[in-house]
Amino acid sequence: MSDNHHVNYKRVYLWLLALLVVSVAGPFIGILSVTLITAFGIAVVKANLVIQNFMHLRWEKTLAKWVLITSLALMALFVAGVAPDVMRHEGQNWVNVAAADAVERGVVDEHAREEELAEEETDVAVAEPGVFDAVGQFNLICAMCHGSAGDGMGAAGLALDPRPADFTDPAFWETRDDQRVKTAIRDGGVAVGASALMAPWGALYDDAQLDALVEYVRSFGPTGQ
Amino acid sequence: MAQATVDVQHAEHDVHEHHGPQGVLKYLWSTDHKVIAMQYLFTGMFMAVVGGFMAYVFRMQLAFPGSSVPGFGIVSPGEYNALVTNHGTIMIFWVAMPVLIAAFGNFLIPLMIGADDMVFPRINRLSFQVFFLSALVILGSLFVEGGGFGGAWTAYPPLSAQGMYNQTPLGATLWLIGVALEFVAFLLGGINFITTLMNARAPGMKAYDVPLVCWMIVIASILFMLSVGPLIAGAVMLLFDQTLGTGFYDPAAGGDPILWQHLFWFFGHPEVYVVLLPAIGITIDIVATFARKKVFGYKLMLYTTVATGVLSFFVWAHHQFISGIDPRMANVFMVTTLLISVPIAELMFVIIATLYGGSIRLTTPMLWALAFIAEFLIGGVTGIFLGASGADIYFHDTYFVLAHFHYTFFPIAIIGTFAALTYWFPKMFGKMMSDTMGKIHFWGTIIPFNVIFIPLFVLGMGGQHRRIYNYQHFPDLAGADFQLLRVIATIALLTMLAFQLVFFFNFLHSLLWGEKAPKNPWNANTLEWTTESPPPHGNWPPDQMPKVYRGPYEYGRPDREPDFWPQDEPA
Amino acid sequence: MFVKPIATTRSATGIPTGRLAVWWLLASEVVIFGGLLGSYIMHRMGHPEWAEAAVHTNTWFGAFNTFVLLTSSFTAVLAHQAAESGQGKKAAKYLLLTMGGALAFLLVKSVEWTIEISHGYTITANTFWSFYYTAAGLHGLHVIAGAIIMGFVAADAWRGKELQRVELIGIYWHFVDLVWIFLFPLLYIAK
Repeated sequence: MSDNHHVNYKRVYLWLLALLVVSVAGPFIGILSVTLITAFGIAVVKANLVIQNFMHLRWEKTLAKWVLITSLALMALFVAGVAPDVMRHEGQNWVNVAAADAVERGVVDEHAREEELAEEETDVAVAEPGVFDAVGQFNLICAMCHGSAGDGMGAAGLALDPRPADFTDPAFWETRDDQRVKTAIRDGGVAVGASALMAPWGALYDDAQLDALVEYVRSFGPTGQ
Repeated sequence: MAQATVDVQHAEHDVHEHHGPQGVLKYLWSTDHKVIAMQYLFTGMFMAVVGGFMAYVFRMQLAFPGSSVPGFGIVSPGEYNALVTNHGTIMIFWVAMPVLIAAFGNFLIPLMIGADDMVFPRINRLSFQVFFLSALVILGSLFVEGGGFGGAWTAYPPLSAQGMYNQTPLGATLWLIGVALEFVAFLLGGINFITTLMNARAPGMKAYDVPLVCWMIVIASILFMLSVGPLIAGAVMLLFDQTLGTGFYDPAAGGDPILWQHLFWFFGHPEVYVVLLPAIGITIDIVATFARKKVFGYKLMLYTTVATGVLSFFVWAHHQFISGIDPRMANVFMVTTLLISVPIAELMFVIIATLYGGSIRLTTPMLWALAFIAEFLIGGVTGIFLGASGADIYFHDTYFVLAHFHYTFFPIAIIGTFAALTYWFPKMFGKMMSDTMGKIHFWGTIIPFNVIFIPLFVLGMGGQHRRIYNYQHFPDLAGADFQLLRVIATIALLTMLAFQLVFFFNFLHSLLWGEKAPKNPWNANTLEWTTESPPPHGNWPPDQMPKVYRGPYEYGRPDREPDFWPQDEPA
Repeated sequence: MFVKPIATTRSATGIPTGRLAVWWLLASEVVIFGGLLGSYIMHRMGHPEWAEAAVHTNTWFGAFNTFVLLTSSFTAVLAHQAAESGQGKKAAKYLLLTMGGALAFLLVKSVEWTIEISHGYTITANTFWSFYYTAAGLHGLHVIAGAIIMGFVAADAWRGKELQRVELIGIYWHFVDLVWIFLFPLLYIAK
């Protein structure tokens, strides 16, 4: 608006600073409800002062107000629709077990939980230098089809045709060497003339990690050599 | 005639004066809304060819599993997933949106409201540049180590969040960045469309004198702007999950994978209406012109569209009925989902009522418009089953869902585009398209389209899950009768793709050797038909900018001799 | 040389085109921040144990930054006032002061983050900290973008050109301030 609005900007600014002091002072009283009011109530008051006086929404056409109100109302709608799932951990016939566990652990001992998390991270870490976990990776990726015992009896592999390779079968190892197994893991079954259902995993592992995987796969074989 | 020559010279003079870059740069660096519309149109058409090729490859794999696909080779499971994922992503974000909203929005809005350009021409140019960059990123993501992202276009975590599940950490991240850049491009474009329509209308043009297609594109842009925000925030969170290892969507770290689904579908469902509304607008404009009849209930249509837009924000969780959301919320969302079919049905009835009693001319654009109504109705009606949570538990993630949304998106993105392209081609390129070839292409597209997707409805009702790479691995699902349906669908797809060659031939042939188009070949009322074909830079000479005296649909009035009454003709 | 189209001279709504576009831009920003902060609020209320992590944020840094942003909003509105009366040079000076505020804000922020990261509170320490860095980082990007655009506007205003843009960048700047007004209690005060 190019018309003159006689707003005393300085007075608005001083009000904002005063409100800031109150919102910082609020928590020192130590009552939760007071803190919430001084924190969020004052934030709303401050926001209103800025919107009306600095952004001049007070003098703007109704259209602009509707645009902003609509966007805010949509966010309220979003929270209302999502909160039953994300904010709450229990509902009618369902429980968010993972989230409830996280709360339980955290409330009991925050620091123990952090350590525990840190430990878990090393367990499943993919590219932690020096501590590549071939067994873990095999169980995570390969075992779905090849089975955690390496016998080709993984849950996802049962229905495949041709069947996933059985690493415990001596006949299998008669025609394989380490290089061939490594190529199959890296570039997929097609690369060695085997089933296209064996996917290429080269994007996941570097050369040394592939060697570790090959070694573990070989350990299922008859001589273990 | 002499006047026209002077206008053209004047326009060229303008170009020299106002636009520094010459030659090819004139087209790459132009701020003219028509040039930017062409850039969007051709990029979109190129991406449609890419998306169509992907559909060809995975349909071949489904019909003839394990055999080498001509032009591609053997399809591995990872490649199959990447193909279906990127087919969906590209067709929605790089074909439907740029062509329907950006190309036709850019071309039509300033012309139809009698303005010489968008109100922010340079932001408009920036919008296309960002969009072009996003297209390069998404295409590049297909060729990185590990291949393209294969976690479906909905990108649910943990499949999208963790490299150890999706097997292509770089591909997934590039995919996400490409989509985010595309959102930025359309936010920039959307602000332009909205402000241009709201502020830059010709003198005398009131809100109810604006052609419905402009309103539809603008309402769609508003829907997009207001729904995409949470997903942008969610994409940032997903990006951090992918690259930094945060746990926003990881329950073990206190996050929640369901949150992504809400963030995604809060945008994803309004997005359906973002692309649907422009297609309906195109249809109603074409139907009014070729039925030579005033639109039945202009205000009814406009208000219904607004109601659709508002309701579209209340339905998102119907995509998550079996994701483990609170069943009470599922009830609420089921009711709102079934409710939204009311305004959409109303829009369809308005179009049909406009046809009633008109003197219908079955030109190529009119055929496309009629086909849109028929095919979209099938898509809409099958959606009722999926909106009911009880039925959805059975149908979820089967080919029924797939056939349903292709019966909505194909009419929107393909039929709507062809309708608009054949209708406005004379204005865009100054040449007439061949009607005969247009009709051959029309029937060659519509018939195979139905033959592709009706068998997929049957497969879905048979319980066929849609994300399976090779049905031979699942003896229960791989029955010979089911396999026959898959082969039929694939052969129909090949037929449909072959008939697109007719379109490309017609397009190029008309462009080069077509008959020169007059100013107003269809005897239509709206303002774009009052200028040259194609319009010069600035659309009209600066001292002859049009003034508007009446609404856009004054066809077939009994009190007037010609059966149309252009908006800019003084009473 | 770029010439503005005739379309820019029209104003059917009565709101100048530039300002109308800024309101729409802000609406789209509201939903971006709304999605992020809404997700944060829901998680925070569902996870009482996050209070344990929130204790470690430093209210004084947050309060000082609130002060800085409120002050820069004040100078931005004074720039607008000067631009309205046609004093381009004065407006440019106030805009420079506002940019100084942005710089101070970012400096304080980087000191604060350095301290926190050195104490082990990184973005992956806990999902509270993930939200903390993501929300403040997204806001920080808006501060940087606003300051850069403000530089261009100030350069034009100094030469007495495009004075209406002083108001537009001002409105955007107040919005950046508003986001922080809500981030401050969400991340710092409510423990």
